Amino acid sequence: MYYPMVGTVYESLFTTSFINPTPKFVGLETYRRILADPGFRQVVLNSLAWTAGVVILQNVVGFLAALLLDQNLPGQGLMRSLVLLPWVLPGVVAAILWRFLYDPQLGLINSFLIGWGLSDHGVEWLADTATAMPAAILAAVWKGFPFSTVVYLAALQNVDREQIEAAVIDGAGPVRRLLDVVIPAVRPVIAVNLLLTTILTFNYFDMVWVLTRGGPLNSTHIFPTKIYELGFGQFRFGDAAAYGVISMLVLVVLIALYLLVQRRARA
Amino acid sequence: MRGGRRLAGKAVVLLLQLLLAVVILLPFFWMLSVSLKPATEPFAIPARLWPDHPTVDNYVTAFRPEFRQYFLNSVIVSAATLAITIPLALLAAYSFTRLQMRLLSVFLVLIIVAQMFPSSAIIIPLYKMVKGAGLLNTYAALVIAYITVTLPVAIWMLRGFLAKLPGTLEEAAAIDGATPLQAFFQIVVPLCRPGIVATAVFVLIVTWQEFLFALSFTSTKEMRTLPVGVNDYIGQYGIRYGELMANAVMISLPVVAVFFFLQRHFVAGLTQGAVKG
Repeated sequence: MYYPMVGTVYESLFTTSFINPTPKFVGLETYRRILADPGFRQVVLNSLAWTAGVVILQNVVGFLAALLLDQNLPGQGLMRSLVLLPWVLPGVVAAILWRFLYDPQLGLINSFLIGWGLSDHGVEWLADTATAMPAAILAAVWKGFPFSTVVYLAALQNVDREQIEAAVIDGAGPVRRLLDVVIPAVRPVIAVNLLLTTILTFNYFDMVWVLTRGGPLNSTHIFPTKIYELGFGQFRFGDAAAYGVISMLVLVVLIALYLLVQRRARA
Repeated sequence: MRGGRRLAGKAVVLLLQLLLAVVILLPFFWMLSVSLKPATEPFAIPARLWPDHPTVDNYVTAFRPEFRQYFLNSVIVSAATLAITIPLALLAAYSFTRLQMRLLSVFLVLIIVAQMFPSSAIIIPLYKMVKGAGLLNTYAALVIAYITVTLPVAIWMLRGFLAKLPGTLEEAAAIDGATPLQAFFQIVVPLCRPGIVATAVFVLIVTWQEFLFALSFTSTKEMRTLPVGVNDYIGQYGIRYGELMANAVMISLPVVAVFFFLQRHFVAGLTQGAVKG
């Protein structure tokens, strides 16, 4: 695993193209060209929007769902395994399913919108630069939030019941209890999980690739999809590797943070 | 008064849970519904949730020879990955929990960090390595690539379980004259079975859906796995949604079935290894 990482750095110092497949050493030239390219800026901004959108929504929805399921009601066992279903579903299948849900003519979403009179012709969710990214984020949240729910549910069930009961005796309502007792108690888990989902989302290839292939007009290209397209679509291995190195640098920072937070959480 | 409010609170919770269940299940239900819709029955607006005359025709058509080949490939690759990952991970995790060495914890962190790195960032040199070794379009390339992904997670998950087994068990076995290896196979492994099951389910879910490596390392129809194969279908049979959804159901069924069968172990194992680590 570490050997190919070095390989990526090495690879990024050469240039190849479809027409000219023999590698030629160019040093840092590739980086200079990429950093000046507006396409690169777009990939950075897209990655930022994608990662922030998915991580925040996934954790908020995941936490709320965990709160809902952390109740002593009948049928909770069933609900708790049901909630993991989207996560078990193979990523490509989930992406195809959502592609279909978003379909302008046949998709369920547009069909509802038209049926309820909210739209008269259906929205081309994945073909419009304004809606493609939010649509991809929504699909990824549906697929990914169950994982956060399970993690948070486990954390919630470890919260000291006596502390909660003490708060009840002190006259604290459900919201007060949540803010003053429960959230502080699970804060370390939230921190670890936020970083973990950030790392996984930044690397997430399947959903965007199957939904949009980075389109329309590059509006959903994130690092993983751009690397794949440069390398295997255009055989520009040097460019792809340079993007790979840059995304590794981002991850070095994230992973260092993750290890730090995890160590603090355990202490 | 208080009781009434509590009851109302419970009703709200149940209602919200119902909403959650609908959000989760509606796409699944739609997938199933469309896969059973006869080709002659049009898509109505607003959508009809269940076809008037459900049929398995789409499944019969969609179970075409190449799909069977993809399925077989996925089974072979997943089974091989599982068969290699679990014993290796078990031995590695065991040594991590039982041997006290400073270097080991450094190694453990290195393993986890490597696992978090994006496959996409290293896909180019990996592709060249695979090509250089003459392994393009082979099961071996995929199995090796998958093991690099599954092994770290498996070690991490199993370590969580093994750490909870008291070392006194093996000491007692040693006093009774068992060799360390005997103690491992006859005491540690059976006691750790829930952890092994949970880890195996996880490995299966990961390998069954892996897309990037399979997309990059296979180019012939004979070698493609299910995720790559069905992704090709979008272009080929894109308009025939009924068949596409039938394929989607057939791909999902094995993992969903395994998951439901073993979910009890699995949920415990996931939180154990992943969070409390």
